[in-house]
Amino acid sequence: MPTRRQPAQSATTNADPKAAPNARAAGGRRASAKPDVRGVGPRGRISADDPRVTLEQEIGSDLYEPIPPFPIKTEREGEFYSLRDGEIFLNIGPHHPATHGVLRLVLKLSGEQIVDVDPVIGYLHRGVEKICENSDYYHVIDQVDPLEYLSSLFQEWPAVMAFEKLMDVEVPRRAEYIRVLTGELLRISSHTLYMGFMALDLGGLTPILYSFIERDEIVEMLASITGARMLFNYYRIGGVNGDLNHEFMSRLGDWMSRAGKQAEAITALLNENEIFLRRMRDVGTMDRATALRYGVTGANIRACGVPFDLRRAHPYSVYPEIDFNIPTREEGDSLARYLMRVDEIKESIRIIDQCLHQMPDGPIMAKLPRLLRPRPGRAWAAVEAPRGSLGVYAMSDGTDQPFRFRIHDPSFMHLGVVPHMLPGNLLADTMAIVSSLDPVMGGVDR
Amino acid sequence: MDRTLKNRLEVRLAGLTRGPVRQRYDETEIRVSPGDAPKVLTILHDSIDLRFEILADLAGVDTGAEMQVVYHLWSPASDDWLRVVAEGISRDDPRAPSATFLWPGAEWLEREAYDMFGIVFEGNRDLRRILMPADYLSFPLRKDFLLGDDASRTPGAGVRHSERAQVPATPAGGDPAVRRAPAS
Amino acid sequence: MAVNQRPAGRTARGKELAPAAPAGLAKPIVVPNTLWTPADPRARSAIAPSQADNTHLGPLGDGDALRADDGRWGRLQVIPTNADYVLELIRANSLWPLLSGLACCAFEMMSAATSKNDMDRWGMFPFRASPRQSDVLIVAGTLTTKMAGPLLRLWEQMPEPKWCVAMGDCTVSGGRYKRSYSVVQGIDRVMPVDVYVPGCPPRPEGLIYGMLQLGQLVKDRRGHWTERSIGPTAPKGI
Repeated sequence: MPTRRQPAQSATTNADPKAAPNARAAGGRRASAKPDVRGVGPRGRISADDPRVTLEQEIGSDLYEPIPPFPIKTEREGEFYSLRDGEIFLNIGPHHPATHGVLRLVLKLSGEQIVDVDPVIGYLHRGVEKICENSDYYHVIDQVDPLEYLSSLFQEWPAVMAFEKLMDVEVPRRAEYIRVLTGELLRISSHTLYMGFMALDLGGLTPILYSFIERDEIVEMLASITGARMLFNYYRIGGVNGDLNHEFMSRLGDWMSRAGKQAEAITALLNENEIFLRRMRDVGTMDRATALRYGVTGANIRACGVPFDLRRAHPYSVYPEIDFNIPTREEGDSLARYLMRVDEIKESIRIIDQCLHQMPDGPIMAKLPRLLRPRPGRAWAAVEAPRGSLGVYAMSDGTDQPFRFRIHDPSFMHLGVVPHMLPGNLLADTMAIVSSLDPVMGGVDR
Repeated sequence: MDRTLKNRLEVRLAGLTRGPVRQRYDETEIRVSPGDAPKVLTILHDSIDLRFEILADLAGVDTGAEMQVVYHLWSPASDDWLRVVAEGISRDDPRAPSATFLWPGAEWLEREAYDMFGIVFEGNRDLRRILMPADYLSFPLRKDFLLGDDASRTPGAGVRHSERAQVPATPAGGDPAVRRAPAS
Repeated sequence: MAVNQRPAGRTARGKELAPAAPAGLAKPIVVPNTLWTPADPRARSAIAPSQADNTHLGPLGDGDALRADDGRWGRLQVIPTNADYVLELIRANSLWPLLSGLACCAFEMMSAATSKNDMDRWGMFPFRASPRQSDVLIVAGTLTTKMAGPLLRLWEQMPEPKWCVAMGDCTVSGGRYKRSYSVVQGIDRVMPVDVYVPGCPPRPEGLIYGMLQLGQLVKDRRGHWTERSIGPTAPKGI
């Protein structure tokens, strides 16, 4: 009786006479299959806009990356892709029912327990930084929207702040208040969506519908001033694009009377649900030192007991004038991260209230020349996005295009801590942990 | 603008920085050579009066003449962001020491800098492509990697300033549209 | 007389004693309905609607019943049409999408599927996680070269009949990433597309309009899947 169990192999597969002749042996490399290609042109000389299809040029000779990668290039790859007794690889993604986007997790499992994980990202890498280096400053604001598409305004904000530092532009106070107001609205929408997705990834299909009701309302509000439901393109260097109007104020007034109602409905469903609590409590615990060393920011680090919120740690815009608290929790597990964001929704509603009361009059845009040419130099700006601290490092060489436009994304760092947090947990906890970190793949891959 | 930070940095990092400590708005910038970067980062992280414990960003930069690695740090003891620029990395064989001994989260940031620029971080246990496919050959954010339809390469040379050629029309090494392995 | 009424003179074993069929026609085999007894014994009788509570199976008389929706076919109780038409009708009204949200458009797709703009009204709610169980692949979001392989794998795994909807500018033509080095300039470069829904992102109503157009396509059997090709479908000379 053989004691060594071969990984992922069954006796029937090899013996089946009806198996296709090119069936892949379990655990081995995929037989390379050239896809059916029409219109193959000569390699290497076709421009990107040529309508003739060359699958090989665009996609590569392998349709997807084999497991294990061949040849092994790095120390960590070698350590990960070598199997011990009783371990198997399980590949989750890049397409999977969890709705956080195209993330691929290669898990190394020993039974149900996760031994190691290798997150593979880059399935949504669109080359935004390179495009921004070849675009005007106005176009940069538009290009940077689809990164964390759930909170588009927070993508534009540090970009605009960095450019304002390079151009020595002062933003009018009304514009700052509008930025804070719209930002906090979007934060509520993003956190409510997070709550819905948290439940959805654990199998609960109802809260997501409430989340989308809230999101639709908020997004229609923002569409009445920005013109778009999702990729707003609203902030400008020196202010915002359009002032508040009657439709926005009436919708906002209506909404304030039921602000956060959907979030309360979701908490009523989830907060005392035993399945939810058992799946989230003490799962994926991150301690303070780990969070600091891995660059975790946002609600994830505040759930570990570190009260690091850029709105108070390094205040920007008009946040010093607004009174709000920084909720913090000590446990550092998935439940704490979830409850953090519920608390932040309430804080955001307070901030919106104060913005509405304190909104000054005045211009919404500073006077700027038509062709923007900042001084040569470097600037860094970071804001507290719903997911963490989102930073932009902009270098200008005096021309009308940024020389280097670097976006530091919080979700990128959070996925970097997944190989540290996941091992030791069971397979079913994968989604509880990864979803509780709230990654958005648009930002991770840029 | 944190004046005390400038003094503290000059005291702690005497001799390790290249050039003066520059400050503008809420940022302080120091320049170091890549070999000194680990020592500088350790001093910044561990010193009791500096305590730059949070790594906010690690970015690669290609200035056309050289490459740089730019670190952004935050400290509870200072109002400013600190920018550490490790400059002077050559473009032909870019190497820099890794910061993963101090911040394990820098591993993925360095992977990205490698993927986009080709900067090899010595000490990073997992230096492979992260955003591009594993068998990709070029380094996209380098200045000699041109996008498909860069207007600066059109025959008309464009009209607007942004369309004027900022790089030579036929760079040495052949047509950049052809992917080729980086020079070893 | 109800069609299902037992003819008189039938034996217990089902041998039929019906009048002889005209010459040339095969003899119909009539199986007596001894397996099922209705809960309401009057359900299949010829009692007039006013006397029986259940008017569905009884004969239709004059009056309101004829003006009702199912009064069109009178007592015939069959729908004479093509089987193909019925199949296309079934397919068009029950297009199950594959949950293939890649980027921002995925959120407008989800918004189209949730309460405010409900796609379930047209039968499209169950977003299947498995390609084997879905009909439509709504590619919502930017397709990069790294993801193109897995997406093609998904498309190949979907069983026929299948359709593809390119949602959003990135999938239609590359969109705002026209200059990018890693974005596939329109998914019609790698897979056949039936409906293009432009927009960045398209409004949920726009996606619903696109899906209804797809339903129309299915019913008209235009662009039948056997005749599709890969590549941009702009006609020559444009």
